[in-house]
Amino acid sequence: MSRDAVIESLEHYFDDGGFWTDLARRVAIRSCSQDEPFRPELYRYLKEEMTPYLADLGFVSEIFENPKPGGQPILVARRQEGDDLPTLMTYGHGDVVRGYDEQWRDGIGPWEMKKVGARWYGRGTADNKGQHTINLAAMKACMDARGGKLGYNVVALIETGEETGSPGLREFCREKKDLFKADVFIASDGPRLNADRPTVYFGSRGVFNFTMTLDLREGGHHSGNWGGLLANPGIVLAHAISTIVDAKGRILLDELKPAPISNSVREAISKLKVGGMEGDPEIDPDWGEPGLTPEEKVFAWNTFEILAFRTGNPENPVNAVPPRAFAKCHMRFVAGFDPAVVLPALRKHLDRLGFEKVELTPDREFMAATRLEPDTPWAKWAIKSLTRTAGEEPAVLPNLGGSLPNDCFAHILGLPTIWVPHSYPACSQHAPNEHILEPVSRSALRLMGGLFWDLGETDSLPLP
Amino acid sequence: MTRQHAVDAALAHFDDPEGFFEDLKARVAVPTESQNPARLSDCYAYLEEEMRPAFEAMGYACRVYDNPFEGCGPVLLASRHEGDDLPTVLGYGHGDTVLGQEGQWKDNLDPWTLMKLGDKVYGRGTADNKAQHSTHLAALKAVLDTRRSLGFNHKFIIETGEENGSRGLKDLVAAHKEDFSADCYFASDGPRFDVAKPNLTLGNRGAFNFDLVVDLRDGGHHSGNWGGLLANPGIILAAALATVIDVKGRILVPALLPPPIGNTVRELLSDVTREVSKGGPEIDDDWGEPGLTRAEKVYAWNTFEILAMKTGNPDNPVNAVPPRAVANCQLRFVVGTDWENIVANLQAHLDAQGFGMVKVQPSTGGNAAFFHAARTDPDHPWAKWVRAAVERTTGEKCRMVPNSGGSICNDVFQDVLDIPFVWLPLSYAGCSQHAPNEHILWPLTREGMALVTGIYWDLGDPETGYQT
Repeated sequence: MSRDAVIESLEHYFDDGGFWTDLARRVAIRSCSQDEPFRPELYRYLKEEMTPYLADLGFVSEIFENPKPGGQPILVARRQEGDDLPTLMTYGHGDVVRGYDEQWRDGIGPWEMKKVGARWYGRGTADNKGQHTINLAAMKACMDARGGKLGYNVVALIETGEETGSPGLREFCREKKDLFKADVFIASDGPRLNADRPTVYFGSRGVFNFTMTLDLREGGHHSGNWGGLLANPGIVLAHAISTIVDAKGRILLDELKPAPISNSVREAISKLKVGGMEGDPEIDPDWGEPGLTPEEKVFAWNTFEILAFRTGNPENPVNAVPPRAFAKCHMRFVAGFDPAVVLPALRKHLDRLGFEKVELTPDREFMAATRLEPDTPWAKWAIKSLTRTAGEEPAVLPNLGGSLPNDCFAHILGLPTIWVPHSYPACSQHAPNEHILEPVSRSALRLMGGLFWDLGETDSLPLP
Repeated sequence: MTRQHAVDAALAHFDDPEGFFEDLKARVAVPTESQNPARLSDCYAYLEEEMRPAFEAMGYACRVYDNPFEGCGPVLLASRHEGDDLPTVLGYGHGDTVLGQEGQWKDNLDPWTLMKLGDKVYGRGTADNKAQHSTHLAALKAVLDTRRSLGFNHKFIIETGEENGSRGLKDLVAAHKEDFSADCYFASDGPRFDVAKPNLTLGNRGAFNFDLVVDLRDGGHHSGNWGGLLANPGIILAAALATVIDVKGRILVPALLPPPIGNTVRELLSDVTREVSKGGPEIDDDWGEPGLTRAEKVYAWNTFEILAMKTGNPDNPVNAVPPRAVANCQLRFVVGTDWENIVANLQAHLDAQGFGMVKVQPSTGGNAAFFHAARTDPDHPWAKWVRAAVERTTGEKCRMVPNSGGSICNDVFQDVLDIPFVWLPLSYAGCSQHAPNEHILWPLTREGMALVTGIYWDLGDPETGYQT
């Protein structure tokens, strides 16, 4: 058996309906983590679906309670072939967002997979059931081709709380670090750069949400009798914001900018093209850091956004000087940037300009940024394998523009992280009509078959 | 009979437990909420059952006009004509109130039941405006009872839509201009500037509400995948606003400013102060146009406010670049401002600053006020006459304020009737007008009764009367 045979067997798995059967069974489990009544479905997904399937593949599974109260269960499965072999860590999430059952197109719904043309509709098809189903099937094909061997050990982590922000995942990885000793991390989530382009990314931008509040007095005061005598918090907060980010979205504080873009990142990005597909919003070329390409702006730079702003009563304005204004802000940032500097730097900046009364409060813990430089050995290895299967070089993203709990794997576990996404930008992830595309899924099975085959060629791996 | 007899008669009625208090009690009992469409019949009842009998008993002819706008309150005009060679004075009051806000009053007071607690008399509409026009009615009666005539011609408007921005009043008066014509205008509404001393108010600031809208695209987009690629409307709007008004509240667009403050106005305001009152907000003295006094900022200059502003979903923010941001803004402006071109001038400023994507449009919300600025020249003989009449009662100089900071329907008198107008406010700043616990100060109202009676007496006295 050979690499080509693995890929061919995966084509058969897709063409003969094996993939449909496995995925439809998983979609039918209503494992929504955002609604408490569905909680038993999370356990069912792990116990009745993942555990037996993984057992067939020779994994020993254990389901752990989440270390955080209210957090969701986590499955850890291990397949040990030999203590002297390299170890792969992989990841998936069995939970999905809410079904929004009534909002789907006619004749389709979230919990029964339906095919319309080349689209397979169902909740979790794209995010993430379809993706880990592809990966596990690819692993099985490699095993079958090598006479029941992979050539490496595997530890898989399937969580069921990703859609609620992966509560407890960091603590879990920290506490159970020994379970996850591995040489490389390979998993799948999120969209390709576009449907036609196999994609690999090595991390994600981080995100930090915080609130700017200006609370000047108790209540509103008649704008006729008091206008001119009372500072207007909306005006002051608008000014404060405009000293942080200019009218073109350029961050004005050096402390909030990342280090200069490295050559390898710049080079990887230069081969990418964002936007321009059907359904994409029109890109504003004048927005953001001057001198950067659109791709550099989203993959290699920090952004500052006002997510929401309110002063007064926008739904029903009254003729009064409002007492209070707030802005919900956040920053997306690339690897190497320490988000802990954000609030102290802003505090100093605002104080210096006389905005002492503007309060800054973090909204939640930040999600750290991660990245594997595209010119490092594991990155090059993955690119080479994907290129070999696809016949063309994949889109290489040093990191996603969005954010993932990848810091658990990259920072806490210290693994080189390789993500091969199997969805595409218009997949309606998190919305009604979530779906995958047949050609993308078929191509993904091939790519993963090649990748997991190549991982078994121990001699060619960039091991220390 | 003398001025003092009339004043004494008015005060005797005021002090009689069965007198002024009972009149006012009956009027407050009519729940004339003009902001509640269900109360339209109460507004009619107020005019037909409270005002018409009182005026007719004094020999006034009354007519109730329906409002030209469907669902808006009627207007009563009471007229007493004594002689073609006599001057005609126009008075005004409004019978409507803001919402009662039942249940929110202290000690669970009922807004529609007049209640005297110490020096304060509570009830919805006491300060705004039932006690004020009731004072005029009682003063007129005292003059008539004493002199048997007024000595001047008098018309009195009672509208019932003031709390809705006097919608329809201007059209109505314009359509019946002859009915409402007069030589001068004298009425009471609003608060005094200093609780201890009367003042005259000669006009009002105008108010215009408009929205600044940045509408960039249809929906929100994931801030991770699109952050850095898509312009953020909240950031743009904040930056645009920062070019319109500075961080200290100073207007930066010359076209939104009034002409320099004239010497007369400056002088009138020189002894008007705005003190921090108990329970009132702390004044920010570094806010607003630099170099102006507190009084000049409110009564002689324009102010730009963000009344409300929103982008994204502030109650439940999501990590997305929001598609749209809106600031609901307001310019309060004094006479002389180019109010007709506020939208165009502000748009031109924004365009010139590179903010062409920020669109200025008149507000359409429930608070979408457009009041004209109005002011009677402080040197006008009518202003001086009323001032002298007040001073004859008080024996000291009466302050004149060129205009109030807030807005009222003076443009009806200024633009349609083209007559000088003078207000003698009989309430005070702490009266909780428009809020729960609205009240009047009983001694202040009594003092007002004497002042108003003196003015009406002097108007009809050949020695002191106003010569047009």
